[in-house]
Amino acid sequence: MLIHTPKDWALRESAATPETIYRNRRAFLKTLGLAGTAFAARDLLGATGGFPTKVNAAFRDPALKPTAYDHITSYNNFYEFGTSKEEPVVLANRGWKSEPWTVELAGLINAPQKLDVNDLVAKMGGVEQRVYRHRCVEAWSMVVPWDGFPLAKLVALADPKPEAKFLKMTTFLDPKSAPGQRERNLDYPYVEGLRLDEATNELAFIATGIYGKPIPNQNGAPLRLVTPWKYGFKGVKSIVKFEFVAKQPRGTWEVMQAREYGFYANVNPNVDHPRWTQASEKVIGGGLTRQRTLMFNGYEKQVAGLYQGMNLEKNY
Amino acid sequence: MLFLEKLLRSKVVVWTLLVLPGLWPLWPIFVTKNSSVLADPLKVVLHHLGFTACVLLATVLTFSPLRVLWPKWGVALALNRHRRLVGVSAFVYAALHFTTHLIYEGGTDVAALPSILRTALKKPFQLTGLITFAILLVLAITSLHVFVRWLGGKRWKNLHRLAYVAAALATYHQAAARKIFPMQVVWIFGPLVVLEVARVIRQRRGVA
Repeated sequence: MLIHTPKDWALRESAATPETIYRNRRAFLKTLGLAGTAFAARDLLGATGGFPTKVNAAFRDPALKPTAYDHITSYNNFYEFGTSKEEPVVLANRGWKSEPWTVELAGLINAPQKLDVNDLVAKMGGVEQRVYRHRCVEAWSMVVPWDGFPLAKLVALADPKPEAKFLKMTTFLDPKSAPGQRERNLDYPYVEGLRLDEATNELAFIATGIYGKPIPNQNGAPLRLVTPWKYGFKGVKSIVKFEFVAKQPRGTWEVMQAREYGFYANVNPNVDHPRWTQASEKVIGGGLTRQRTLMFNGYEKQVAGLYQGMNLEKNY
Repeated sequence: MLFLEKLLRSKVVVWTLLVLPGLWPLWPIFVTKNSSVLADPLKVVLHHLGFTACVLLATVLTFSPLRVLWPKWGVALALNRHRRLVGVSAFVYAALHFTTHLIYEGGTDVAALPSILRTALKKPFQLTGLITFAILLVLAITSLHVFVRWLGGKRWKNLHRLAYVAAALATYHQAAARKIFPMQVVWIFGPLVVLEVARVIRQRRGVA
């Protein structure tokens, strides 16, 4: 007899996001009139907009309630477009073009190439939707339905050589369009890195959409990294280059303040940020709600093996 | 200038100037319903109250150097009539900021208080805020006439010089509140530093 054992985070069909959430949001956008039209146009024209998404039930915890689309797309840390939460939604949509978009695979790999982001998504076999927790180093959290593809597929496409140990990802550099890059509020272009075994972990994901729509500029269009067991700043946005390297790359925040932002940046309620506690987190859109932060942001089963024997207080 | 002077002499005007800034977050939360603000409205309130407290603390400390530097300037004289009111309002905003912090971290759960305070004692960023608040609390209480009489003029004045310590700590606290250095700190406390330096130079010359 064939017995199907679902993974422990698998979701029953009945617990899927009700269709009304999507419909209500659509109705809301329609009432916005002109703005609504602009959004609708993006649906069709936006880079990676032509790929229908399908829910991957294996990556959807029934206990997670997705944060409202409006909060996800207006409460952003994207320092290229301002250091406050409300600036990116305005400043990233003032002439900066996230399409057409070319992605480069480079470094210690057998298949170096430059390709259009749509060709890349096609090669990845289209997009799927996963619902992940998102925990910011500033002690707030969201739940985001991301559309995209596993990073492991991209690594397979690049075909790394044995000497490649790390994956270094770089954001665009265009000071003319990005006011934060003109101000040099950080060391640009924004860089983040993963160990190769982290990059090929089943959770590591490249997002090209949110709630089934092309990812908005302020969230890192047209493609960004999502590593749900790490703090949000690891999720480098608007990536132009995936480079496979032998030495551990230094992330932008690590360069800025290594004592506060480490290479691993794994969510860990037991290791405080020097200025605040990481034991709990504010729930975005949840009023006064605060919840306890989970080890590896609740993904301990999937990723704890990556860090076995490591001192997580030293390797924060 | 005479008009501005008359305006600033009025208690109603000053009270309005002190109360209105505190109400500002109500606008994006209840009127424009900004979705970015509504994502975490209490944090916006928290930051705004702290910001206002810093602005008022820096402002009230400029009053006396302004009078020393321009002793015949009516506006400076008018402002100096309100030193106590503005100073106490800086304390009130700091108290509201601190209370909001407690609610932000612990909700309405009183049992969470000890751990919030323990965290505050461990983190220099939070501890400087707490000490600033403690100083302002002492200064607000001793601003009552009965304490001025009880302490005597000289001791009272020395005690209230702690306001400068509070300003220095508040500068650090505000700068450390963001992931990268916020320029607003310079706009808020920079003018105060310039005025204080000018006053010291003026007073040295006066003595010589």
